[in-house]
Amino acid sequence: MASEMPEMIWNQCQAQLRSELPEQQYNTWIRPLVTDNMPLDQAGELRLLAPNRFIENWVKSKFRLRIEELCSEFCGRALPLTIASHSGDAPDKKGFQSEARVDKARSVPTAPLEREREGSLYLASSVPADKKKTGVAVTSAAEKSLHSNLNASFTFDSFVEGKSNQLALAAAQQVAENPGGSYNPLFIYGGVGLGKTHLMHAVGNAMRVENPQAKIVYLHSERFVADMVKALQLKAIDDFKRFYRSVDALLIDDIQFFSGKERSQEEFFHTYNALLEGGQQMILTCDRYPKEMEGVEERLKSRFGWGLTVAVEPPELETRVAILINKAAQAGMILSRDAAFFIAQRIRSNVRELEGALKRVMAHSQFSGRTIDIDLIRESLKDLLALQDKLVTIDNIQRVVADQYKLKMSDLLSKRRSRSIARPRQVAMYIAKELTNHSLPEIGEAFGGRDHTTVLHACRKVRELETVDRELQRDLKNLFRALST
Amino acid sequence: MALAVALDDQATFDNFYAPTGTLQYLALSCLRESKQSYFYLSGEAGTGISHLLQAACQNRPGSVYMALDEVSEYPAENVLQGLEERTLVCLDDLQTVANQPAWQDPLFHFFNRCVDSGTPLVCAAHCPADALGVTLADLLSRLKSGISLHLSDYRDEDLRRLMQYRANRRGLYLPDEVARYLLSRTTRSTRTLMSALDAIDAASLASQRRITLPLVKSIFNL
Repeated sequence: MASEMPEMIWNQCQAQLRSELPEQQYNTWIRPLVTDNMPLDQAGELRLLAPNRFIENWVKSKFRLRIEELCSEFCGRALPLTIASHSGDAPDKKGFQSEARVDKARSVPTAPLEREREGSLYLASSVPADKKKTGVAVTSAAEKSLHSNLNASFTFDSFVEGKSNQLALAAAQQVAENPGGSYNPLFIYGGVGLGKTHLMHAVGNAMRVENPQAKIVYLHSERFVADMVKALQLKAIDDFKRFYRSVDALLIDDIQFFSGKERSQEEFFHTYNALLEGGQQMILTCDRYPKEMEGVEERLKSRFGWGLTVAVEPPELETRVAILINKAAQAGMILSRDAAFFIAQRIRSNVRELEGALKRVMAHSQFSGRTIDIDLIRESLKDLLALQDKLVTIDNIQRVVADQYKLKMSDLLSKRRSRSIARPRQVAMYIAKELTNHSLPEIGEAFGGRDHTTVLHACRKVRELETVDRELQRDLKNLFRALST
Repeated sequence: MALAVALDDQATFDNFYAPTGTLQYLALSCLRESKQSYFYLSGEAGTGISHLLQAACQNRPGSVYMALDEVSEYPAENVLQGLEERTLVCLDDLQTVANQPAWQDPLFHFFNRCVDSGTPLVCAAHCPADALGVTLADLLSRLKSGISLHLSDYRDEDLRRLMQYRANRRGLYLPDEVARYLLSRTTRSTRTLMSALDAIDAASLASQRRITLPLVKSIFNL
């Protein structure tokens, strides 16, 4: 009987609940619930699946009674109701969990390691979508065709080289040519959004080109921890160890998130040793130099430095311009050098945010039918530029520089010429010239009525020192960052 | 004579009022096109961001919409667990959780899981990402990594047209003078105006009367 189809009954329930609940509540809790499509005469109950355990519990506690009432009303008889979740424990019905995975049409790389109810080991990232749907266990043979989470678009070709990342790029290329060699592990560190992940994927992709059978696994440190916890819960820690120690290359991103997770560090330590002994390549990224990591065991920190440690710095202006032109071309758009220069001059923080700004400009261009020029960029990035303008006034630059060097504002503006004051003053003048549109006389005036030649001298001096003085380089980096985000 | 039928007026792309050239129009176009893997929308209540997020989910079977203000007291890991396996995730009211340290790491990891599994993510908040108070740099840079649009309030003229547009979608005719009257006597929030429209719709249906100034005055005792 058609009315006995769970989907029809559930549709009627949903329509009723939609009229009873505020729209936001309905959309959050009721709309994502789906039936498992089993005819009621087979199942004898209506079974609803929530996207996760949290939503399942919420629905059970707040809406279950009303759903039961409505179901019985529309079905014409008392109808038992089961609410479960896709990612939680399914009811004890054969095939329920595997069916729960069906609704997403494409392959979803989830955790590399999952243990299904039947007790078979799954390598989720290696399981084709159709296999997942039918719940076919993955055998060790299937592991050979492992597809890792490598992003195919992150290659050496699509990586824009500049002074800031030259060394890291060269090291990554070396590792790709000679995996498991002397640069093992390759430890890439640097601030957020500077291309560490891109380089890591590029190595993996290059290795894959050389050897399509290579088992290369990329993951975030959080996933390693989550897999380990899951393996411990399911008493499958041996499978976990076997999997991670059997790869040809293990690429772990953002390992600073291991901080404070002692059990995970312990397990990672053994995995690390096993891979290194086996000559398998490891690449790790982190937001800081290994020795500066907090909450990580000393023995791990020291091992991180056994191979090659390279830094990725924020890109300089020319590289930012090249990145923008390159990214626009990848998206099929033409970005003039002037336009790229305009954006790159204003967005200095990191590549990820630079890309975000470019995407916004491209969307404006696409939907307004206008070509990308400075006017369109100004319009598209209005709020971002306004924020920048607020940050990069001469007054604010003086304040930030004074803070950095622990001086008073009045010192910077004074006539005093001692090195401890004159150098920060020169730095502040240099930054004012770089970040604002003020003329040399205007900047001189703002620094206690100095002559424009003093400002010119300050800019030349700082540029000259910047190439040799590492401490000054670091100070400038911090100051530019503070003034651009 | 009003028809005795109440038309469905749930949030969809079709009933979103977005005059050409506005950021609302751009946001609608981007979401409708759905080519982006990540999108950030901000704007005060009443600018239409919740409508857009819910419409995006209506449009995509297997998607999930989550209003974070309702769940901000719960463990973030539990709330977000497994959502990356959906076809689209829309997280609304991010400002209610983003400055909580207990939410920042889980949000960052969730963002990464969405990227890894190719699941499009749309985030929305009352303010731009920079103003959320996010202290985890990794999370903040990700929140700023896609198209981000800050929608401004509708102007009075737009609000009037919005009311008439939504009324029209329900099969109602809302005369100019009634729309202007309502605008001058209620707060200028789309939520309030839509509630007023609900009340007018119901009263018009119940009394079988056209929408006129006297009817509206009697409904709201003005």
